[in-house]
Amino acid sequence: MRAYLAFTKKEFIENLRTYKLLILLAVFLLFGVMSPLVAKLVPEIMQNLGIGGIKITLPEATAMDSWVQFFKNVGQIGLLVLAVVFAGIMSNEFSRGTLVNVLTKGLKRHTVIFSKLTAAALIWTMSYLLCLAVTYGYTVYFWDMGELQHVFLAFFSMWLFGLLLVVLLILGGTLFKTFIGSLLLAGGAVVAMTLLNISPKIQKYNPVTLCGDNTALLTGVKNASDFVPAVIICIALVVVLTTVSVVVFDRKQI
Amino acid sequence: MEIIRQYLPFLIPLIVIELGLTVAALIHIFTHKTYRKGNRVLWVVLSFVQIIGPVLYFVIGRSDE
Repeated sequence: MRAYLAFTKKEFIENLRTYKLLILLAVFLLFGVMSPLVAKLVPEIMQNLGIGGIKITLPEATAMDSWVQFFKNVGQIGLLVLAVVFAGIMSNEFSRGTLVNVLTKGLKRHTVIFSKLTAAALIWTMSYLLCLAVTYGYTVYFWDMGELQHVFLAFFSMWLFGLLLVVLLILGGTLFKTFIGSLLLAGGAVVAMTLLNISPKIQKYNPVTLCGDNTALLTGVKNASDFVPAVIICIALVVVLTTVSVVVFDRKQI
Repeated sequence: MEIIRQYLPFLIPLIVIELGLTVAALIHIFTHKTYRKGNRVLWVVLSFVQIIGPVLYFVIGRSDE
């Protein structure tokens, strides 16, 4: 336990000194401000455009538009930035050989994986909550929030998908020992899940639903029962993939 | 003018964050001689590409020394 805490602390300091924490917080803060801004601007821009004399009138923006933008930004570019920032989480240690010393001194190998997962997950949680809080603040200020359905599930799903991405990056890093390998495994998994999503039967169980259909859940178009199976599978995947990473890392030559 | 004032609560934080990231990247670029990938000119230009430029510099370009 002491080793775990010490290594987790080391991870935090590393993330701070390599500017990763700063980048993630800044980027997600940016998305937090941008989502309501875009929601507010789009109808006005469209109105002033008037392509070929046709006047386009869009309904006034609502709080829901702000949340649509939020899920679009975080679910696409946000997750991409998260993946790029954490893609080196394992490969950096391999390429610099910094793990050799601590492991020969008796640090358990699984501690390394758990510590890295904890640090990355905490940083992701912080960035996500920051983004959520800022968007919430602007949305409440500018619009009437109205009735939102399944609020917790909608926001929790997105967070869970981010966590799955972090786990995939760690697994990719332990398997291939490279930055690109990590990124390709996570990217490949997301692409595979997106392709599987074409079949409507699988959608309910597919973790990729968690970062795509959140607004349908907020408006009540989709029910909690459409999301819960995917949530359970996603949690199961997180646990299984972490275990696989630990097993693979135990046998890896450093 | 009226429109700009209306969007000020959005614009100020946006500008501060984006400029902050760019300036942080530029300071780091000019205080370091070596980069893991690329060269100084490339990174100076890229750090003005909003959001993704400074992020890429800190993740890929920044050397450990």
